[in-house]
Amino acid sequence: MDELLAEFISETQETMEALAGEIVAWEADPMDRERLDAIFRFFHTVKGSCGFLNLPRFERLSHAAEDVLSDIRAGKRDPDAATVSAVLAIMDRIGELAQAVLSGASVPSESDELLIEALLNGDAGGEPGTEKAASAAIAPANVESKRAAGGMRSIRLPLSLIDQLMNGVSDMVLARNELSRKLRERFSDPELESAFERLSSCVADMRDSISKTRMQRIDRLFVAIPRMVRDLGRDLGKKIALTIEGGDVEMDREMVEMVVDPLTHIVRNAIDHGIESPADRLKAGKSETGHLRVAAHQSGNQIVIEIADDGRGIDTGKLVAKAVAADIISQDKAATLSEAAKLDLIFAAGLSTASAVTAVSGRGVGMDVVRSNVEKIGGIIAVDNQPGKGLRITLRVPLTLTIIPGLIIRAGGQHFAVPRAAVVEILHDNNETLSISSVGGARVATIRNVRHAMIDLEDLLCLERAQEAGKRTIIVIRSTSGVPFALGVQAVDNHEELVIRPASPLVMASGLYAGMTLPDNGQPMLLLDASGLASAAMLPMIDGEAEAKEHRGPVEDNSADELVSALMFTERSGEERLLKLSLVERVEDIAISHFAQSAGRWFVRIDGKLLPVVHGLTDAPEGIVTALRLSEGDRELCYPVAHIMDIVQMPVIPDVACRSGIVGGITVIEGRQYEVIDPFQLFASMPEEAVKVRPVRCLLADRDDPWMQEILAPLIRQAGYEAVMGGDVKPEEADIVLCLAQSPAVKSIVDRPVVKLRNAQRPQGPDDDSIYRYDRDALIAAIELAKRERAA
Amino acid sequence: MSQLYLFARIGGTDVAIPTGEIEAVVKLTEISPVPRVPAHVAGLSALRSRVLTIIDTAALVWGRPATAGPGSFAIITDIAGHSYGMTVDSVSDIASVPAGELPLCGQLDPAWMPFAHKVVENEHGPHLLISLTSFVEQAQPLAA
Repeated sequence: MDELLAEFISETQETMEALAGEIVAWEADPMDRERLDAIFRFFHTVKGSCGFLNLPRFERLSHAAEDVLSDIRAGKRDPDAATVSAVLAIMDRIGELAQAVLSGASVPSESDELLIEALLNGDAGGEPGTEKAASAAIAPANVESKRAAGGMRSIRLPLSLIDQLMNGVSDMVLARNELSRKLRERFSDPELESAFERLSSCVADMRDSISKTRMQRIDRLFVAIPRMVRDLGRDLGKKIALTIEGGDVEMDREMVEMVVDPLTHIVRNAIDHGIESPADRLKAGKSETGHLRVAAHQSGNQIVIEIADDGRGIDTGKLVAKAVAADIISQDKAATLSEAAKLDLIFAAGLSTASAVTAVSGRGVGMDVVRSNVEKIGGIIAVDNQPGKGLRITLRVPLTLTIIPGLIIRAGGQHFAVPRAAVVEILHDNNETLSISSVGGARVATIRNVRHAMIDLEDLLCLERAQEAGKRTIIVIRSTSGVPFALGVQAVDNHEELVIRPASPLVMASGLYAGMTLPDNGQPMLLLDASGLASAAMLPMIDGEAEAKEHRGPVEDNSADELVSALMFTERSGEERLLKLSLVERVEDIAISHFAQSAGRWFVRIDGKLLPVVHGLTDAPEGIVTALRLSEGDRELCYPVAHIMDIVQMPVIPDVACRSGIVGGITVIEGRQYEVIDPFQLFASMPEEAVKVRPVRCLLADRDDPWMQEILAPLIRQAGYEAVMGGDVKPEEADIVLCLAQSPAVKSIVDRPVVKLRNAQRPQGPDDDSIYRYDRDALIAAIELAKRERAA
Repeated sequence: MSQLYLFARIGGTDVAIPTGEIEAVVKLTEISPVPRVPAHVAGLSALRSRVLTIIDTAALVWGRPATAGPGSFAIITDIAGHSYGMTVDSVSDIASVPAGELPLCGQLDPAWMPFAHKVVENEHGPHLLISLTSFVEQAQPLAA
């Protein structure tokens, strides 16, 4: 019996969740019979099951609701706002009861009668002010798609089973990796290898589909919104049109749980603080109804959720005033803040933009909590404010909690992973823009005039430093607290997608780790927690970046419009040169084997395409070449360099213009002169990419002739011409027609060169202008002639 | 009594562990150390696709730094959703004990106090009855 009860409860809760959106949509359009039916069915089912399970309260409530709905269905009663509210109230009560049954708590039963009475009398006694509140118009765009999805068959599975499956597949992947290592060590047997390949791809497919089982449509996140918007809109007397998009985007079910709260909060804020009352909206020249749009889409391995309203936006002036009043920032500091920095204050703890704290939002839990919740799951929150016009908040969260891109670093002979999202910059310690100084034990890394607190990972983790001569690497890490610091490590080894799993409490208690991962080599690795590291190091939380900006502020602004960022690098031949940074797509290390010379020019094979290379690599040793990938939009170039030195600010116009080859002039930076590359010359010096010329189209008139199909057509294609069979295109669209000497087709063609092919080796007479069909040279010559004629 | 016990030795002391808590006993291969955690945590080790937190039980009991390395025996157990490997010197037997669990007589070494409250006896003499969960629970306050 218990099992039946549990099933009934979970089924009821699930249906209610799905119905929340429907009922609001039904209110907007009471004539919608389909939705009415769906709601009626719900109550009917509940009534039926609880009679069987002996749950009298459920039965009474659902019975009352069913009666009213059936009256509405029969047209005896109008589904006015009060009735809908009463039906909703009954639904809520059933939800409460279900929750209570689940947790063993009790809900006072007297109020059941009140609810039922309200329903039967058509008077929403429990909700004063319902009458005067304007009804919220709701237009959920996802309702249609939801209906369509209803037909899919599904079953219920315990989450633990899925986790078990997931682990099983991970085991399988590890076993496969081991097997592949062993296979490589032994002998090579192509048959065995191909069987192994097949197994291997099956395993990979399976891993993919198993990880999909963890995915859930974001719909679940959105179902509660229409109801919330309706209720809030009525409470506050605002008219709101809601649009929901992208409910079919899928994300990890755990992630869905994590996003519910921040999303709810943002939507509440938008309705409470963002969208104005109808009167205010009219005054501001807007339509009476406010628009709220919630949309989700997938972008790479992130889910982007946008919440946009057309309300009043954020008044940054007011925000700053509040922040000053709340002692969050000082008066004179506030005056120097940029617009973006002001906006950032909404994330400061203890700030709310509403002038009055309302019951809806602004209960002390503010955007600071939202941001920290979003960042906790590796997400980013961005605010796009248009004062008076609206506010758009964008949440970017990873697709799954469990897979994150990470850098693998080495320190003290051990490997650790760092979430890539936390890494701002990676530098070698011999980089000229970096200077490390220490005073009284405190170490400061100054990178391009920005001071960062610095700590070595080995010291932090009490590890022995590897006695390995050579350069160390400095990683600038920005933790969620927002203050970047420099972390010295032995080396950054790799960049990988890591499957993160929670570490045991014993390990987590240290506060330094965010989880652990098992890479393919089977050696467990710990994921470092950026903010944990910062607090363990007890670094002073001073934002060197902001500080530096304050110091330089106005001076830099004056000159900023004449300077552009430039990449400073050393050529393979030794010269130090500058190149406008915006041209550089990325810097890549490319194996020398990917470079090849052809027709006097160098080309490199990257990402499946050939790019022209600026300089040849005549003196290239074996190994890896550092190369810049430049792009001007359509064309890409590869520019091999010896090494990258820095990113500097250079004047747009070189100090001395002196053209020679790709060099456009000379610029002095910090007392040294550098050649500046002229991008125009650079791209101009590159070979024109093969212009797509339409190949000569040869029409093979006799389409049924096997010789034409099997011998002639391949020959023509091989020679670089296009071969089409007669009938596929009209003769007028071809450049030349080839046909058999005896073919009847030839007579119908007039204005195209025709080549007749004969079977005999010798001409059949003095007037015979046909070509022997195996005379390749004559054939090609004839086509070439046609090509020239076309060009003429 | 149908209760089965695993008889093992931790830091020279004979112990018995109810088999219900035990998933397997394995010989550890590689252990990746974890910096800045309580000294008795020997590190992490992979068992197929699972990652075990290895606890050097002898080190925990006597308050020494962990010495467990590759080749140590470890009892695999799941506690609160996490997998642990608890090192033991050796394992001798799995058997039921006719006399069942007996109260502890005599002065127990204070080091063992948090972990053992009863004994079970087999033909080789008394064994401290310990619960693997206590190894993790005891470890928490130290870690904080």
